[in-house]
Amino acid sequence: MSSLNASLATALSGLIAEQGALAATTNNVANVNTPGYSREQAVLVASDPVVVDPLTFGTGVTLQSVESVRDPILESQIQQQTQAQGQYSTLSAALQQTQTNFTASTGDIGTSISNFFDSINQLSTDPSDLSLRQGVLTAAGSVATAFNTTADALTQQQGSLDLSVVQQVGQINQLTQQIASLNGQVASLQNVGENAGTFIDQRQQAIDQLSALVDVSVIPSDTTLTLTTANGAPLVTGLKSFQLTAETNAAGLHDVYSQGNDITSQITSGQLGGTLQARDSEIPQTQIQLDTLAAGLANAVNGVQAGGFDLNGNPGTALFNPPAVSGVGAAADLSVAITDPSLIAASSDGTSGSNGNAEAMYALNSQPVVGGQSPTDYYSGIVFNVGNDAANASTEQSASALVLQQLNDQRASISGVSLDEEAANMVQYQDAYSASAQVITTINDMMYAAIQMPTLTG
Amino acid sequence: MRVNPDPYPDLLAAVAQTQQEIQTDEQEIASGQSVNLPSDNPAAAAELVRNADQASQDDQFQRSIGSIQGEMQDADSALNSVTAALQQAISLGTEGANGTLNASDRQAIVVQVQGIQTQLIALANLSYQGNYVFAGTATQTVPYVLDPSSSSGVNYQGNTGVNKVTLGSNFSLQTNLPGSQLFSSGTGMFQAVQDLITGLQTGDTASIGTAVNELSSASQSVDSQAVFYGNGLSQLTSQQTYLSTETTELDQQETTVAGADLPAVISNLTTAQTSLEASLEAIGQTANTNLFEYLK
Repeated sequence: MSSLNASLATALSGLIAEQGALAATTNNVANVNTPGYSREQAVLVASDPVVVDPLTFGTGVTLQSVESVRDPILESQIQQQTQAQGQYSTLSAALQQTQTNFTASTGDIGTSISNFFDSINQLSTDPSDLSLRQGVLTAAGSVATAFNTTADALTQQQGSLDLSVVQQVGQINQLTQQIASLNGQVASLQNVGENAGTFIDQRQQAIDQLSALVDVSVIPSDTTLTLTTANGAPLVTGLKSFQLTAETNAAGLHDVYSQGNDITSQITSGQLGGTLQARDSEIPQTQIQLDTLAAGLANAVNGVQAGGFDLNGNPGTALFNPPAVSGVGAAADLSVAITDPSLIAASSDGTSGSNGNAEAMYALNSQPVVGGQSPTDYYSGIVFNVGNDAANASTEQSASALVLQQLNDQRASISGVSLDEEAANMVQYQDAYSASAQVITTINDMMYAAIQMPTLTG
Repeated sequence: MRVNPDPYPDLLAAVAQTQQEIQTDEQEIASGQSVNLPSDNPAAAAELVRNADQASQDDQFQRSIGSIQGEMQDADSALNSVTAALQQAISLGTEGANGTLNASDRQAIVVQVQGIQTQLIALANLSYQGNYVFAGTATQTVPYVLDPSSSSGVNYQGNTGVNKVTLGSNFSLQTNLPGSQLFSSGTGMFQAVQDLITGLQTGDTASIGTAVNELSSASQSVDSQAVFYGNGLSQLTSQQTYLSTETTELDQQETTVAGADLPAVISNLTTAQTSLEASLEAIGQTANTNLFEYLK
């Protein structure tokens, strides 16, 4: 049999449940601008009924839980896209910087090579003229300077990217520590059946930040998460985080180690992936091309020099200091070997008025002396490669940014706090609370009426 | 369906993208170039490198032509003077072959012919900016010096070398003829003049007649060789014209490859500005519209 007391308890359950639901709404409103926050939803269920044969009475409402609303599959897509975005934005920024060394200017390599050959053509018109010979030496010096400057800029950029590697490894370690500690907090709440939503949000936020840095693979377990790099190097297992280390290699750059293993080449995504790609692949590739051009040009010019005679009738000596046989460092080290303009071997017959060898040297500008191409064509190839790589990285970056934006939209459409919705919920919970309170007032009146009732034995 | 309740990130992303577009457009308008960085259009940037090199070469060819022209013009006019001097020697020889002249008359002619000999040596030793023009490639060596022991009265000290200068992608020009070829082929003008002097001194009219014939063929030889310089000079002029045309073409090509399409860019810019204003307007409108506003 139902009683007024039972009804009072039922009404009270309504008050409590609506208060709890309102608390969730309040928390949502408070966190409307909190990054990574997933809205909470009060889960109300009807309490178990009481059977008083032959009737069944409800016993009110229970606030079963407050759940954070999120889509784990979407989260993992966002992580992947964040990795791509981190990689391409870093790579794109690096390549944008690289390509500024290859824009047309008065001192760029292409112009200096053109000017060098122009000066030889001018010398050809009057091979014994010392001022024209000096002009060739000056132009050769400018070629060397242009190569040196560009090679130095690339090396410097490589150095600053290396610094980024060290910093990014530090950031990764900080985040994995944070995630391991959040794993602990999530586990301790979930083990006692509490809602760990806030900590899960924070952990998700940290994983997103980590994804921007490195390719992370998330393996969820009951309460904690295991994080590894895409290639399986452990980052976080349960409550333990595994530090990555940056160790100096033979080239003076930093390699990334995990548990004593060099995993540098395995990191392909995230900002660290992008930084490593720029440092270890893109810039060296450009450096090799520059070295090939510098060595090819210097060797060809020196070769022609050796076949001619200088102003004094002596066999020509090297105009450029011979680059290393391997070609490595040719651009950075390129320098002019002679300071005496009379040593330019313009003559092909030993007389001062012969320009035969100057003509042979001039002809180099249209001969396949560098990788099967003329020096200018080869240089234009470098400009193309550098520009193309920068353009591709930029396109990839824009594309991944767009996808990431869409995914974030999707996440927000599921997990984001809507003030309209919260306002409606608030009104709803408030109304329900008022109604329950009204029920209690009525029961109170009924109780009073019952108490005031004259006794039968009176 | 639930929608993303927070429109700001998308709106701000749109604003950022539009601002980027505006910046790119403004840069294009300011520079007049659509390729300001290699990544703007890698293929065009590479083409611009080759184009700039070609333009630089063409400018240089023009300068080299200018340098060569002066020397070839001087050589050409020196050769005209040589022909004139030889004609004068022929007249003097014809005069000296007259049997009625006595020895002192002939001696007077000898003096005049010797004067011509000196003049011819001076012309053959023409120097241009410190270089002997007719010395082959031995341009620092005086090509002709008087040498009484030589049958021609002079000695050629130059060589037979010639220079060619590249003055176009597929054009190079020989810029000199050595004195040995110009003045000493066949009997040679110096031999002819020396023969005339000897004939006049000995009074042998037959020898004088032979010398006059030699002079006449030497003059023809120099004349025909002088065509080399005339031809060369006119080739230089046509090459100048060709190079100017090519420079213009390269300029046009550069504009085609990398010039900003101003009407299009300005139209883009206007669109982008409108779009930016719209995005900003949207952000302004979005503010303060939620249900809480209406629950007061």
